Amino acid sequence: MMKGIMDWIDDRSGIRGLVKEALYEKVPGGARWRYVWGSCLTFVFFTQVVTGTLLWMFYSPSTQTAWESVYFLEYQVAGGWFLRGVHHYMAQAMIVLLVLHLMQVVIDGAYKAPRELNFWFGILMLGVTLALSLTGYLLPWDQKGYWATAVATNLMAEVPLIGPIIQKVVVGGVEYGHHTLTRFFALHAGILPASLIGLVVVHIYLFRKHGIHVKEPRPKKDSYFWPDQILKDAVACLAVLLAVVTLTIYFHGAPLGPPADPSNEFPARPEWYFLFLFQLLKYVPAFWGAVIIPVFLVVWMFLQPFIGKSKVGHRINVGFWWALIAGSVFLTFLAVSEDQANIKHGAAIEEAKWQADRVIEIANAEGIPPLGAVSLLRADPKNQGRRLFAAHCASCHRYNGHDGRGYPVDDPQSAADLAGFASTAWVTELLNYDHYVSDKYFGGTKFKDGTMARKVLAKYTEEENKLLPEIARLLADEANLPYEEKLEEEKRDELLALFYNDDLDFEDGRACIDCHDIDSEDEGSAPDLTGYGSREWLIAFIENPEDSRFYGKKNDRMPCYGRDDKLKPEEIEILVDWIRASPATP
Amino acid sequence: MTDSSKKQEKQEDRRKFIVTSTIGASAACALFPFASGIPSVLDPATRDKGNSEVPWTKIAKLSSLPEDGTPTKFEVILAKVRDAWTTYTDIPAGAVYLARKGEEVVAFNLKCPHLGCAIDYRKNSNDYFCPCHNSTFALDGAVTTENSPSPRGMDTMDTKVENGEVWIRFQQFVPNIKEKVPV
Ligand code: FES
Repeated sequence: MMKGIMDWIDDRSGIRGLVKEALYEKVPGGARWRYVWGSCLTFVFFTQVVTGTLLWMFYSPSTQTAWESVYFLEYQVAGGWFLRGVHHYMAQAMIVLLVLHLMQVVIDGAYKAPRELNFWFGILMLGVTLALSLTGYLLPWDQKGYWATAVATNLMAEVPLIGPIIQKVVVGGVEYGHHTLTRFFALHAGILPASLIGLVVVHIYLFRKHGIHVKEPRPKKDSYFWPDQILKDAVACLAVLLAVVTLTIYFHGAPLGPPADPSNEFPARPEWYFLFLFQLLKYVPAFWGAVIIPVFLVVWMFLQPFIGKSKVGHRINVGFWWALIAGSVFLTFLAVSEDQANIKHGAAIEEAKWQADRVIEIANAEGIPPLGAVSLLRADPKNQGRRLFAAHCASCHRYNGHDGRGYPVDDPQSAADLAGFASTAWVTELLNYDHYVSDKYFGGTKFKDGTMARKVLAKYTEEENKLLPEIARLLADEANLPYEEKLEEEKRDELLALFYNDDLDFEDGRACIDCHDIDSEDEGSAPDLTGYGSREWLIAFIENPEDSRFYGKKNDRMPCYGRDDKLKPEEIEILVDWIRASPATP
Repeated sequence: MTDSSKKQEKQEDRRKFIVTSTIGASAACALFPFASGIPSVLDPATRDKGNSEVPWTKIAKLSSLPEDGTPTKFEVILAKVRDAWTTYTDIPAGAVYLARKGEEVVAFNLKCPHLGCAIDYRKNSNDYFCPCHNSTFALDGAVTTENSPSPRGMDTMDTKVENGEVWIRFQQFVPNIKEKVPV
């Protein structure tokens, strides 16, 4: 029965002959491991086509849905992270295998006559594969892809005469937007893979026409493609597969940064195999990097079959590729080590990680509004608080020593570090003279030489100093911080009595009540501490520190954010909520 | 057994081993890409949606319904609807007839349980009528003709009245079967 059907099909198609021809290709000198790269690449490309088509079922190319659909696949769809991870790491494996294949061809001299044409097709395929990587990098529409691809498309404009037109056509306009994604997607999932399939077919046809280029000496007697060489090929493919699966599971899929946001800077870095080009652009003008060097390299590569005719020429060719690889490795190493030494770059990476985790946390909890995930992050008080602090406060203040987001600040610190502001620990330290006049608190302000510092804190006796942590507890209680426990009513009364100096624990003139108020009507000369550090108090303070309730005329350079319309009321609220939300981290 | 036949047998074994492992390894490589996507592609079929709570939606003021129990049609605007990653707010999701029964309210889905046309309320005969295939329903939603195209009465939904507002749990049901089963 089965045989009958097969005969029928064979009769009409001649399939048996084809299969036979394909499988019983002669392998002179026997099956060898050095011939596996082509098959491996075919396997990897096949995997990319299949997984890519599956990914297509989940991807939606537009600026409001690209990141969002990838997020959904990665975090909500069963096994989505695995599918995406395999596609991601296979792409990297493809680049590595391409280089290995190329080097084998060059070293064995398989690029020479009569195989010139096939060598050129190979170079073309390398180009298409790199274009596939480049276009794929943008599709998730995360910060990384967005900023890095912007650099790449700006380089296109360097091509003389038609450069700006090419750029506009690829980007789908002047600015990045919906059409950038639809175009990149059409390139990545349609035009480029289709071209690659065509090139693969020609490449394999030409390869079959000329047969395997045998590396002498031949180790064994001749054998056939099936099964000896295929077994070696399949084992190599399995090894690639295993490596990719291991990477996918180890990193739990491919990375997904925070959604693309043109107003939120991110250090543009391409995928690792393009880092050498990125680094090169630090030394040469864009025109050289984008046009002259690539054109020179490509022309050189196309001439190689002719250069390689003589023994010396072949040596030069091999040397050229080794030099190219060594140069790339060196430039990559420079790029990585420069980034690692750059504190700001590290902070930007950390910040992006924070944003990605945060937006995914919100999206998991409440979904994403039609405006897209960027709007989630923009409306998020936690994220906004950090950004407002960095933009408006961090040139003088610090937060845990940084700018609120983790970036170091260039300007010298000239006001207090506000991490854990008004907490027991924070106020306790503040009331210690040495800390008070240190940079962490008022060291950078004129209060360093003020009454509080010179006439009060500096003068406290040992007995009085012991009472200060108690005062700190009272003040922190006024702040009502979400992470601190409230005092019992009785305890508070007791501490308030200490504040009022009822039992004359403090020397006259050094009691808090002499200048500050809590819960009383009189106007002391120093800031009113009723509700000190509470939401209301801090909002009013940031609105107008020059109010008589606070510093009055003694204010030292602190801007009146509300009074002078430097911040909107809701921004001040977000900022205050953020400052008060968490304790300082040691 | 001669030496040469032994040797031949050994070679035969070796070949068999090579062939099976080659087929095995190739098959694994060929199938893997497809297999890697199976859970994701089947996700919609395996996703368990059944036990998620149907949310309450506010429809109208009780006072806006006629006291005599005459049905009134209302749009159902869902506060939150999720479509894959997107959460939409205030999305029109369908319509209902609300009829008052003293302080209680009954709610009928506007969709005909036959094949989903919109049911009319007929003032003259004071009943419901589906213009598509002529199903008729009584005011309590029951099928009124013997050979009714609709296999069941109109679909009711949970209702509650709170502070003078009518809330319902808006749901759709599988059409053209005898039992009322949520989709
Ligand atoms: S759809 Fe209502 S009767 Fe057929």
